[in-house]
Amino acid sequence: MSVLIRLAIVATLAETGFVHAKLYLGGYRVIPYIGPMFLLQAAVSFAVAALLLFAAPVVLRLLAAGAAAGALFGFVLSRTVGVFGFTERGFDPAPDALLSVLAEVLCLLLIGVLWAGELRRRRPAL
Amino acid sequence: MREHIEEQETGPEGMTRRQLMRHAGWFGGAVLLSVVGGEVISSLATDATAASDPNTLKFVQVSDSHIGFTGPANTDVTASFEHALDRVNSLGFRPDFVMHTGDLTHLSTPAQFDQVKQMLSTARTDRVFVVPGEHDSVGDGGKAYRQAFGANTAGDGWYSFDTHGVHFLALVNTLALEKFGHLGNDQLDFVRKDLAGVKSDTPVVVFSHIPLFAMYPQWGWSTDDSLQVINMLRRFSSVTCLNGHVHQLFTKTEGNITFHSATTTAYPLPKPGTAPQPTPQVLPARQLQDALGIRSVTYREGDQLLALKEERLT
Repeated sequence: MSVLIRLAIVATLAETGFVHAKLYLGGYRVIPYIGPMFLLQAAVSFAVAALLLFAAPVVLRLLAAGAAAGALFGFVLSRTVGVFGFTERGFDPAPDALLSVLAEVLCLLLIGVLWAGELRRRRPAL
Repeated sequence: MREHIEEQETGPEGMTRRQLMRHAGWFGGAVLLSVVGGEVISSLATDATAASDPNTLKFVQVSDSHIGFTGPANTDVTASFEHALDRVNSLGFRPDFVMHTGDLTHLSTPAQFDQVKQMLSTARTDRVFVVPGEHDSVGDGGKAYRQAFGANTAGDGWYSFDTHGVHFLALVNTLALEKFGHLGNDQLDFVRKDLAGVKSDTPVVVFSHIPLFAMYPQWGWSTDDSLQVINMLRRFSSVTCLNGHVHQLFTKTEGNITFHSATTTAYPLPKPGTAPQPTPQVLPARQLQDALGIRSVTYREGDQLLALKEERLT
């Protein structure tokens, strides 16, 4: 079961990395500050997804959660107060924004499920 | 014995040295792979080669030179504009054109227009284009501006042109200025007719002084009838709107349209909402140079978006 969850985390992380890399290559790279942040998100997501194929130690889970939560935080900021003067509206660009948000939310949920399952197993039976 | 050793190696948080090394190894692996991945992705981007490709469109946007301004925010705007033009001439490529997106002068006097025209002529480029800012029509409805720069334009100074497969529109939204920028029916008709003959897959670039998007309406940083133009632009696959006026970098995307506000060569203005009014900001000399700049833009046929690069005057 935990292997399946781990692979699902890999898939969601790869998806958000793919969307960010696609948008970076499609033109976001020219936007000050935003371009480098998209590149960083994509690179970290791909790297952590690749390593998660082999194991899911705490440090990788934290990195995966950080990549997903960071991207979600950036999404919310860009729809509200802006990120370094960059703003977007709704789920534009479609469908990339929606796909990325769904993947990131799912990634965070799966990491939570994985952690909760392990904590339950470690707890001594009464 | 082994248990004893492990116990000795346990750190204050209950992690053994071996576990710590294992975590460090995973973290190091993630960092290494991230660097490699980043290199691979950025190598797929072709910005670096675009500027040296002779078929690539290359142009420069300068904005808000405010020649004639006197004040502590910049005690020598002429020197700053000269510096900006030196930067244009040392970009490492010859731009196909230079576009000044308004507020060329501070008070619209013929002498100021003459000075800015002479200065712009020192830019090493084939063509220089301009659109007026509200400071270019002080007291005369833009008459002095049109005398200096109005050749080959329609209406009150608007025009369009094509180069390298890109369609350019240069709009005037500062002449009927009250609180907001305004285009007016004559200009909207011009845009409608102009775009009618342009194919939907042609990249479109729109220049204006005041933003065509609602950047900060409380300060008048928007154009009240721009929605009509934006609706006409929706059918195009790629639209880039470049404006000045706000003296700071700002980017917004809305569907197929990307809006980029440019910085100034004269003096910075406060960020939206951080001051009671958008008045010139006084900065220490070194910080002032950081706030001023020009923008180089490249476009290679087939790309979805134009590539922008901000160049500071430091």
